[in-house]
Amino acid sequence: MSAAIRTEKLGKTYFSGFFRFPYLALANLDLDVPEGSSFGFVGPNGAGKTTAIKTLMGLQRPTAGAGWIHGVSILDPASRARVGFLPERPYFYEHLTAREFLEFYARLGDVPSAERGPRIAALLERVDLARFRDVPLGKFSKGMLQRAGLAQALIADPSLLVLDEPMSGLDPIGRALVRDLILEERRAGKTVFFSSHILSDIEAICDRVAMIVRGELRGQGKVTELVASAVQHVDIVVRKGGAVETRKAAPDGVDTVIDAVRREGWSIVSVHAVSKSLEQVLLDEVERARPVDAKRMGVLA
Amino acid sequence: MSALGLASRRIFAVASNTFREAIRDKVLYSIIFFAVLLLLASLGMREVALGDRDKVVRGVGLGGISLVGGIIAIFLGVGLVWKEIERKTIYTLASKPLPRWQILLGKYFGLWATLAVEVGILTLLYTVVIGYQQGLPGAGVYLAMGMLMLELTLVTAFATLFSTFASPMSASAYTLCVYVIGHFADDLYTFGKASENPAFQSLTLTLYRIVPNLGMYNLRSEAVHGIAVPGSEVMWAVAYAVGYTAAVLGAAMLVFERRDFK
Repeated sequence: MSAAIRTEKLGKTYFSGFFRFPYLALANLDLDVPEGSSFGFVGPNGAGKTTAIKTLMGLQRPTAGAGWIHGVSILDPASRARVGFLPERPYFYEHLTAREFLEFYARLGDVPSAERGPRIAALLERVDLARFRDVPLGKFSKGMLQRAGLAQALIADPSLLVLDEPMSGLDPIGRALVRDLILEERRAGKTVFFSSHILSDIEAICDRVAMIVRGELRGQGKVTELVASAVQHVDIVVRKGGAVETRKAAPDGVDTVIDAVRREGWSIVSVHAVSKSLEQVLLDEVERARPVDAKRMGVLA
Repeated sequence: MSALGLASRRIFAVASNTFREAIRDKVLYSIIFFAVLLLLASLGMREVALGDRDKVVRGVGLGGISLVGGIIAIFLGVGLVWKEIERKTIYTLASKPLPRWQILLGKYFGLWATLAVEVGILTLLYTVVIGYQQGLPGAGVYLAMGMLMLELTLVTAFATLFSTFASPMSASAYTLCVYVIGHFADDLYTFGKASENPAFQSLTLTLYRIVPNLGMYNLRSEAVHGIAVPGSEVMWAVAYAVGYTAAVLGAAMLVFERRDFK
């Protein structure tokens, strides 16, 4: 499977103040986002998710390493030809109506003029903003802006969607709408790369995930694999006659326990691995990265 | 579609959005309203002016249009790029598959179009007002307004350059400096020549060569007094404006290209 996004040792250091003090925001990021996947980019606030996304989207220049989108260097604007992007907070032109707003981005995305009208109408319908097509964005609520932003990201029918915290600050209905949109795009074969610190959303939507803590990648792979690698213990339910018991085994001691219970004359009813949740895996990584400050950061939603 | 055609379409898209934003800005209407008031007030000056009263009225009217053009160029120009960054609309704009120079050119042309429309409307109004009072103005007035547009072309380029790295407050100060010094470039040269100090002469000559000579775009006096302007002078002014603007916009593109949007 070819990569929609690939980075090698991608890094970003900011320099601030008169003496240009360095601040390492992103270090040695090696990402591999396969085409057609639904990829979650998780980490606590301030972990470097937005920095990574901005660097991929050409809004910031990397200070180390390299990155490619559909095989084209991220330094080349052409790498974003088939990309739809929704930034973290919806900041859009307040003087434009929803229709004008999508028209503008359709033109920038080289959508042929004959297709623009029908596509704008369909998208406004899809994000439930058709009634507000002639209302200036300055009068939109945050949820409406987020939906308009999603329509903007979809207007040029991109094959890769990059969404930075698309559900942040939305009410449950708004979150459900955004989630359904992402799932629809995924079903249509698009690659969806989105960051979030709301791990239940990631678990519900993504098939792959990368975890970033303090600017460094702490793991990536399939969600099931990442969670499976964090098996806490295994519950083995056994039966002898009318008696039923549950034996606990360490992840690497299942065979030993099974052999022992069989020798005792028990039969195996079920074997169930009890894993950490994605949230617990992330918390552990935060703990590992900042043993003292993890709790104080209050970083998880 | 050819690369040039594609670039033109994208630049046009950004330019029309910039133009639309400018004409929906209430502040623009306040400034134009001020210009209209100034034009109408110039009629009243006829009664209090000394000397050739008609010329005073014509001069004040043209001066008002130039002043308002300069204010709009500086006021809108200095926020041109800064506003995109500050309001974070740059995130969705710069993440599109268009090079940053196309964004900058689009923004610049959008503002230029706004100024052209504003100068056009005020010139039309001037024609009606003066035409009503004194008869239709001569061709010199339209040449003077054309030259004003060339001056604004240059001033807007400087405002755009400064807006790529400075806040509107600082960018206004820098652009105003260029505007004021630019209008006194000839005086700077004469002043240096009159000095007997070689170091001072060299300094003023260097400054004269660096800052844009905006004085050459002031043909208001010629328009008011009906003095003919040689074609070669106009051609030189056009070439100077085009060359200087290209150089300043080139510098703006270099700065904008390297900016990080945090």
